[in-house]
Amino acid sequence: MGTQFEPRSGGLPGAAASQTSPETQELVRLLIENIKDYAIITLDPRGHVLSWNAAAERLKGWKADEIVGQHFSRFYPPEDLQNGKTEMELKVASQEGRFEDEGWRVRKDGSRFWANVIITALRDSEGRLRGFGKVTRDLTARRESEEKIRRQAQEILEMAAVPVVQVWSGILLVPLIGTLNSQRTQQLMDVLLNKVMETASPVALLDITGVPAIDTQTAQHLIETIAAVRLLGSEVVLTGVRPSIAQTLVHLGIDLSNVSTRSSLSAGLRTAFELLELCVAPRATAGG
Amino acid sequence: MSDRNSISIIIVRKTLMVTVPSDPDDATVSALQDEVLAAMQRVDAKGVVLDIGSVETLDSFFARTVAETASMVALMGGRTVVVGMRPSVAVTATQIGITLGGIETALSVERALDLLDRPVTGRSRR
Repeated sequence: MGTQFEPRSGGLPGAAASQTSPETQELVRLLIENIKDYAIITLDPRGHVLSWNAAAERLKGWKADEIVGQHFSRFYPPEDLQNGKTEMELKVASQEGRFEDEGWRVRKDGSRFWANVIITALRDSEGRLRGFGKVTRDLTARRESEEKIRRQAQEILEMAAVPVVQVWSGILLVPLIGTLNSQRTQQLMDVLLNKVMETASPVALLDITGVPAIDTQTAQHLIETIAAVRLLGSEVVLTGVRPSIAQTLVHLGIDLSNVSTRSSLSAGLRTAFELLELCVAPRATAGG
Repeated sequence: MSDRNSISIIIVRKTLMVTVPSDPDDATVSALQDEVLAAMQRVDAKGVVLDIGSVETLDSFFARTVAETASMVALMGGRTVVVGMRPSVAVTATQIGITLGGIETALSVERALDLLDRPVTGRSRR
C-alpha cells in the first residue's frame, strides 16, 4: 500500500521526498513498512485511512485491505466518539500542524490498548491540506507498569497509614509518618476510634514526628479526630510538635489551645502516665 | 547579626531562662523565637521564663512575636512566663494597645519559677 503515499512535492513534510532519488524514496517506504513499534498510517483530509503499515496491522488487528477507506474513528472507543473527539483531533491537527494525545484505542477484536497518538497535518507546497499522518505507539505495557507501581505505593501507604500500637495498658500510640491527606486522616479516625473502643484505652498518643508539614486542612482533620476520640471518653495527646510545626500552626492561626500537645513522644508518654495517675520510678529495692 | 549573640538561654530545672537584650531589633526577636523553640525541643523543657527586664521599648512586632512564641511553646507542651516588664514599658504598651495575649506574667524570676512549678489552673493553656 506504499503507493498510497503519493510521493509528490511536500507529500511527506520534512522528509523532502521530492528531492530525493527513487532509491531513497524506496528506503523511506521500506522504513514505514518495516518499522515495528510505530503504527504509521495516513488519512485523507476527512479522516479516511489511505495507507496502513505492517506495524499498524500488528497493533490494531485490521489488515490493510480491510481498513483502507474506512474512517479512523473505528479506532476509538464509543465514549470518545460521542464527545466528537475524532473531529476535534483533526481540527487541532489542521490548525496547529499537529495533535498529540494519550488514551484508550480499540483493536479490531474490540480489545483496548493505551496509545500515544501523534497526528500531523500534511500540506503540499501551496499549503493545501492533503491529509494527515498518524503515528501510534502502544504504551499499554508502560501504563500497566505505572499503574502497578502506583497501586503498590498506595497499598504500602495504606498499610503504613495508621498503625495503632498499644504501648501501655490504657495507652495507645499512633505514629504518623508521611503526608496526611483527607483520605488518610479519615482512615486514621476510623481505625483509632475502633481501637480505642476495642482496648478501652483512656489515652491515645498521636505522634506527628514523621509528618513533614501541616497545613490548615490537615490540622482541621487532626482536630476533628481528637474531638471524636474525646467523645468516646478518651484523651488525646498530640506529640512530636517540632519547632517548625509549632510555628506553622501559630502562623496559620490554628487554635489547638484545648488539645494537649507535647514536643516529644517521651514528654507525651509522661503526660499519659500523669493522666492515668501512674508513676514511673526507679525500683526502691534496687540497692537490695 | 551581632545581636544574636546577646540572646542568652540558660536551662535551670527543665526551664529555659531567656534574657532578651535591651533594645532588640526585629531580626533579634525572630532569632529569639527560633532559639527558644529549638531549645524546647532539645531539652524537653516544661516552660520558658522570658526576662524582658532590660527591654526599654516594646514595639508591636516584639509583642506579637512574644505572644506567638508563647503559643508555639504551648504547642510543644511548655508554658511561658514573662518576667520583669518595666513599669514605663507596661504603661506605654497599654496606652498604644499592645497586649501579650494570654501570657502569664510574674514580677520576678523567682516567682516565675514558682508559677511554673504549680500545676496549670484549669485546662486553659493559652
